[in-house]
Amino acid sequence: MTTTQPRHSRRTEILEDRPVNLDGFVEEWPEKGLVAMESDFDPAPSVRVEDGRIVELDGRARADFDFMDTFIADHAIDVETTEASMAVPSDEIARMLINPTVSRQDVLAVTRGLTPAKILDVVKLMNVVEIMQGMQKMRARRTPANQGHSTSARDNPLQVAVDAAEGALRGFAELETTLGVLRYAPLVAIALQVGAQVGRGGVLTQCALEEATELELGMRGITAYAETISIYGTESVFVDGDDTPWSKSFLASAYASRGIKMRFTSGTGSEVQMGNAEGKSMLYLEIRCVLMAKGAGVQGLQNGSISCIGVPGAMPGGIRAVAAENLVASMVDLECASGNDQSFSHSAMRRTARMMPQLLPGTDFVCSGYSGVPNADNMFAGSNFDTDDYDDWNTIQRDLQVDGGLRHIREDEILQVRNKAARALQALFAELDLPRITDEEVEAATYANGSEDYPERDVLEDLKGAQSVMDRGITGLDLVTALERTGFHDVAENLLTVLRQRVSGDLLQTSAILTHDFVPLSAINDANDYAGPGTGYRLQGERWEQLKKLRHVTSAENPETEVS
Amino acid sequence: MRVSAPAPQSRPDLGPADYPLSVNRQDLLRTPTGKPLSALTMNAVVAGEIVADDLRIAPETLQLQAILAESVQRPQLAANFRRAAELTAVPDAEVLAMYNALRPRASSRDELLTIAENLESKYHAPVCGALVREAAEVYQRRDLLAREED
Amino acid sequence: MSAPAAVRTLTLKEIGPAQRASRPDEVVIAVSPAFAETFTRTIVDVPHAEVIRQVLAGIEEQGVTARMVKVWDTADLAAIAHTGARLSGSGISIGLLSRGTTMIHQRDLPRLSNLELFPQSPLLDAEVFRRIGSNAAQYAKGESPAPVPTRNDQMARPRWQAKAALLHLKEFECIVAGRRPVEVEPVISRA
Repeated sequence: MTTTQPRHSRRTEILEDRPVNLDGFVEEWPEKGLVAMESDFDPAPSVRVEDGRIVELDGRARADFDFMDTFIADHAIDVETTEASMAVPSDEIARMLINPTVSRQDVLAVTRGLTPAKILDVVKLMNVVEIMQGMQKMRARRTPANQGHSTSARDNPLQVAVDAAEGALRGFAELETTLGVLRYAPLVAIALQVGAQVGRGGVLTQCALEEATELELGMRGITAYAETISIYGTESVFVDGDDTPWSKSFLASAYASRGIKMRFTSGTGSEVQMGNAEGKSMLYLEIRCVLMAKGAGVQGLQNGSISCIGVPGAMPGGIRAVAAENLVASMVDLECASGNDQSFSHSAMRRTARMMPQLLPGTDFVCSGYSGVPNADNMFAGSNFDTDDYDDWNTIQRDLQVDGGLRHIREDEILQVRNKAARALQALFAELDLPRITDEEVEAATYANGSEDYPERDVLEDLKGAQSVMDRGITGLDLVTALERTGFHDVAENLLTVLRQRVSGDLLQTSAILTHDFVPLSAINDANDYAGPGTGYRLQGERWEQLKKLRHVTSAENPETEVS
Repeated sequence: MRVSAPAPQSRPDLGPADYPLSVNRQDLLRTPTGKPLSALTMNAVVAGEIVADDLRIAPETLQLQAILAESVQRPQLAANFRRAAELTAVPDAEVLAMYNALRPRASSRDELLTIAENLESKYHAPVCGALVREAAEVYQRRDLLAREED
Repeated sequence: MSAPAAVRTLTLKEIGPAQRASRPDEVVIAVSPAFAETFTRTIVDVPHAEVIRQVLAGIEEQGVTARMVKVWDTADLAAIAHTGARLSGSGISIGLLSRGTTMIHQRDLPRLSNLELFPQSPLLDAEVFRRIGSNAAQYAKGESPAPVPTRNDQMARPRWQAKAALLHLKEFECIVAGRRPVEVEPVISRA
């Protein structure tokens, strides 16, 4: 080539090399719904009630309702109050959201009657700081928490177990796994459950799978809750996902009928990513999802774009829209597991900025989840944070005095639970006649970082073992028995206590988690009571002492030593 | 939901202070097999006295949780618990089959109405039956019933 | 991603309405509406001609035959792959989107399930496409091959997801609602 390239400045070259420029950014295309939250193509708010029934919703007459409109009108919106609520000016509702002298209950009394377009109209008035103020008050559970991922690039059950144990010890209230090879699911789900109960009794686990299989594992008591029950904001994309609001409502009841906690999943960008946003903004469609979830009677929602974060992330104002969708879930009284769970940016600065609107005000689960394995092993295709970031996360919590659900743990304690989780799984597999876990693998697991640090397993044998778990109908109770027989009494007891929770149904209530003494903590007995400075959840006392600890802190008493 | 579930026979007056039931109101909790929560011990597991059915939730308990949800103004959640109470009677495989039948274009109108009837008469599940009937009506209007060639 | 030595182009010659076959030793390759028409390359510029060449080679090296269909009425990968599986004599299919996303499916599985899924289109290169063809053929023979190792680059999402959405929107505009699947013959020529 003889063409001369224009000369770049040294500064341009340096900026070109910055990680942020590896991220993808695209132009808005509002006609196709490639726009975050401000689009001329979104409908104007309206509602009309006749004979106790909503006959017009956001400018559309009942005869023209698609199934989302129908479901939202008939199940989500409070017909008694909707006309009064819709008459309240949007700016007044937005102010109620941030005014600490207006209680959460007072806000809910209004939001129960709002249509999707009206909710959009309200949150469009709010900047990110106001969205955070709203979240601080509207989050359902008073105490924030966090969720972790434990997966393996080789679907190695042993890795999933030990990283679950470490994650549970570090503080995750829920742990989630998924697979590269779906047929591995039964073994990996068992490993997650056992590892979690070694790390900290009462941690809830789930395995993200196709709906029917996920339900089956739950019914058997191998997993404790479910979350990957996807819903979408347009009828066509919902149908592409092979579901409808009615099938998903039925599924919600099916889970509850087995005493299993469940939340739906949705997020901005999914409809446009699946090619049919019907020309509506990402946030408008997400608000329809939130109200659909509300109407189904499911206790909570995982949202915050989730697996589509690269789409709003590439749009102007996209991360503000993502913060707003979390707020919308909370302001209609749903548990919100608020995303931050997918690789988001090459830039560490951008990754951190993205999670501030959830970490600072606190949400029911700040991440849904945080990768408890190195991102290379994360089978959700990477999270916004992984094991490399543990110390950064802990430091940010300590700097800002905010509770992001994790804490620093000394290495000796970590090695101990990793080793114990590995041995428990080894014993369990042997007891259940599943593929053998060797002592060499246990040793590797104790000290490993990622899947490459483990001896390779015989995948075909493992897959046969996984199939036999299904064929033999192995249940959570079988796991309890096997753990007890092999001498892992405390692990068996923890798992039995989690299973026993099903009988009471307490974990079915909004935002429920289990404390370390197995007490259900939900938006009933731990309802968010924020009412301005000095109220609501405050990071103090024993918990604050825990969070003051880091890997390296110079001792005040003896500056030649460190405390940890 | 417009259709309300039949109220449980004796409707305890539960409120937020009773939650968690597993701590505060164990007296109200029974497994579907009639055991109290306190019977679900490791000793009983080891003795083989506990079967998988003992770790399920009873319909009465779901009705209690529905009352609790209503006491904190969550009517949709309560309705979900009432549907769930009805579904406790339906075997796992059949629940899955019903769910699959409700997927778009999976069933004809008659097939859905048969499921609704089955729920109502065989399982005494009128709230779930109503949900399926409602689906049949919407699916017909939105062209989501099974197509001939499928 | 290494570019092929010579640039090949792929055209899909329409044969007629796709039929369910009875021969048990075939794999159906089902492609999306824009494949080899509106688009000619995957999201990372692997030519569609190369994708099909490699998949066919992978199938043929197992002694299995391949048949190709174009699905017109959806751009949903699971639906495309399941459509292919239901037409396939062996019940095994490979579904392909224009941007490269691929799935091995089986007739008897639920539509949203699959045998193997390769969701990260930016990571699929010629070698992976060949192995996908080979594995599909082994499933067709009733064997249980070790799954093609899943590549996992967590940074593909921030770099490529929005572009993928844009490509998908364009693919969506190529859908012909109500048009049944068409059997096509792949013609690969050197430009």
